[in-house]
Amino acid sequence: MAGLEIISDQGYRIDGRRSSELRKVCARMGVFTQADGSAYIEQGNTKALATVYGPHEVRKGRGKIQHDRAVVNCQFSMATFSTGERKSRPKGDRRSQEMSMHLRQTFEAVIVTELFPRSQIDIYVQILQADGGNYCACVNAATLAVIDAGIPMKDYVCACTAGFIQDSPLLDISYVEESAGAPFLTVAMMPKSEQIVLLEMNSRLHADNMEKVLDLATQGCKDVFAVLDRHVRDHVSESHALMTAS
Amino acid sequence: MPTDSRRVPGPQDSRSPHWYGKHATRQEGDTRPDGRGDHDLRPVYLHAGVVSQATGSAYIEMGQTKVIAAVYGPREIARREEFTMKGRLCCELKFATFACRRRRQHIQDNQEKDGALIVLQALEPAVCLDRFPKSQVDVYITVLQDDGSALAAAITCAAAGLADAGVMMYDIVAGCSVRQCGERQLLDPSVGEELSQEGESAEDHGMVTVGLLPSLNQVSALTLDGHLQQQTAVQAVKTCIGGCQGIYPILKDCLVTSTRKKIPALDPKSSHASTEGQNGQT
Amino acid sequence: MSSTLGVLSDAERLFIVHGVQDDLRSDGRACEDYRHVQVETDVVSNTSGSARLRLGNTDILVGVKAEMGEPDPGRPKEGKLEFFVDCSANASPEFEGRGGEELAIEVSNALQRIFNSRSTLDLTALCIIPEGQCWVLYVDVLVLECGGNLFDAVSLAVKAALFNTRIPTVVVTADDEGQQEIELSDDPYDVKRLDVDNVPLIVTLSKIGHRHVVDASWEEELCSLARLTVGVTQKGTIAGLNKEGSGSLDPESIYEMIESGKKVGMVLNSRLKEALEKEENSKREKIGFLG
Repeated sequence: MAGLEIISDQGYRIDGRRSSELRKVCARMGVFTQADGSAYIEQGNTKALATVYGPHEVRKGRGKIQHDRAVVNCQFSMATFSTGERKSRPKGDRRSQEMSMHLRQTFEAVIVTELFPRSQIDIYVQILQADGGNYCACVNAATLAVIDAGIPMKDYVCACTAGFIQDSPLLDISYVEESAGAPFLTVAMMPKSEQIVLLEMNSRLHADNMEKVLDLATQGCKDVFAVLDRHVRDHVSESHALMTAS
Repeated sequence: MPTDSRRVPGPQDSRSPHWYGKHATRQEGDTRPDGRGDHDLRPVYLHAGVVSQATGSAYIEMGQTKVIAAVYGPREIARREEFTMKGRLCCELKFATFACRRRRQHIQDNQEKDGALIVLQALEPAVCLDRFPKSQVDVYITVLQDDGSALAAAITCAAAGLADAGVMMYDIVAGCSVRQCGERQLLDPSVGEELSQEGESAEDHGMVTVGLLPSLNQVSALTLDGHLQQQTAVQAVKTCIGGCQGIYPILKDCLVTSTRKKIPALDPKSSHASTEGQNGQT
Repeated sequence: MSSTLGVLSDAERLFIVHGVQDDLRSDGRACEDYRHVQVETDVVSNTSGSARLRLGNTDILVGVKAEMGEPDPGRPKEGKLEFFVDCSANASPEFEGRGGEELAIEVSNALQRIFNSRSTLDLTALCIIPEGQCWVLYVDVLVLECGGNLFDAVSLAVKAALFNTRIPTVVVTADDEGQQEIELSDDPYDVKRLDVDNVPLIVTLSKIGHRHVVDASWEEELCSLARLTVGVTQKGTIAGLNKEGSGSLDPESIYEMIESGKKVGMVLNSRLKEALEKEENSKREKIGFLG
């Protein structure tokens, strides 16, 4: 990727965005009828699908039962055709297991699990097309799906990435920018209470720049929140209109 | 596909010379390479009670195709998740690594899993599963040599094994295959006939396998590979059913023999000169 | 397979069986009617071809990727077609972990069966260098929701995705030493299409009571002990056939089922072709999952 210029002299990125711009976010709630909650999200070319089942009785492994709260169970999988080169397995590799664990930790923190003792909530996310920021798309889709399922949460969780390339922080980095090898930060946060639920960074970044990048990522999460919140409100008023009409 | 790391694999780029061979379906005139007519079965040898540890077992030879099946159970479901009023039938099908022209892997591949499912669904309608609440019957089938119609032989053999195990059944199951090459219908094809490319370009070519409950006249397994016109397909199924009915007396005969042997009072060794092993083609 | 999706009471079962007897099913269809099918192609941009299909509540996404590989030694002048089915946990919590594998293998074997014959797809067109390089088409099926009649939905989606598949044109040049070099065209519009006219569709006929129905909903699947999956081409040829389920069938009813499978399958093939051609010629905005 040496010859590739991530930011042009005019300050535009490869896909034409400014450094602090998000990709276009499109979302839809209630994609499926059989699941308790489902949502689909597109962030640029990254497409993710989330479904939520539950709260229901703990099915497999009764040992998992918690007497004071619900168990959150997550599974992350990637469609075999989602990446540029075909993946041989959709799930079960180390990377997706780690992703499942991160998602579980994220949602255990925001779902009010104390309301459903001795039960289980399943969150399944599926990446249909991967173009950077897979974790973020998954979290955002899963948030919408959990809301669609009517499961109480303390707040939304919104996730966003920010990278630091050519001495400037970049918001919501795409696959090409991700693979340039520069450091990037993944943040999942509850936008209203401004609490960070998950923070992950790879590669190496100077401590002085850390704050700048984190601020940008935080701002990105809030921007995502604004979009998601609008979708939820639209969806609810639409469903309400349908119900009153009949 | 996962491979078994404990075993020494062969060189990766080795190839069996059989890839380059030709397969013939007809000799001079109209007979098949082994001298049969198109609608003739190969000689069948069927013997029940061959594995002493198993509850029941059977061994079949159809020409050079050799299949052995062992039945265990009914036994308690090992890790029982929930109570079932109906018993469960489990079926495993494996080709021995040396059974085919190319060497097969030790791990069950998709073709074997597919075959196992077909055999399972062929046997299920015949077994009185409601007689075995919360228990399961296991059927393990190994194809020792595949010289064509292995699936049909596996169905027949497994059914004989189940009957030998004393598992209650509504009827026995007989299996039979037909290979359609253009106009020709070859009953009980050998491997050469299965692989031959004769008729590949014709409109009708394919392979049909049927499992039949002969005395109830119900079809419990039916699978067709290839392209056939509707009329031909129906005709091929009918030929298969005919073939199954040809195998039925052999099955009956074999079970009578094995039952006689189990109950000494019924085994008039002196009066009946051993008929076992002579279950030729009917 | 259907047992994963729920249970039915005796009264519900009786209601469905009686309805089928009178040629009026619980959703108002007759025995040989399909549910509404929605299909959209080219939904995943980093594949060579893709399609999303909704049949009632059954939701399938298929992606086809063309990659280069070595041909099978037995068929040196042909490309390869590989099927992979993933029953995603999205469809049912039962499919979590390895739970969906059994069903996935069943579906991929059914696909293998109908694609088995050489007249289905011209695989020689996928050859690049005989005995050297060929195109391998990975057909990846993702089951997103299971609302009955999975096999038919998958085969429809696979055919639609293959119709949509575009393989880049390659030029093979030989240098002085006889070394062959493969050159891939840069032009995204310089592509090859597949001829899918002979690709069969699966029609599943479920025996309920004394009659059979096509396109069973999952409630109806629970009422049926034996099913016949029939591969049918546009011309009405039977391409692959399998009996499924734990019941047995009368020979006469098998012949009837094959006949109605052929009849329904031919209509289904021509409808799909119409729909795909119409979609290609219209300049409609893609909706994907947002619609």
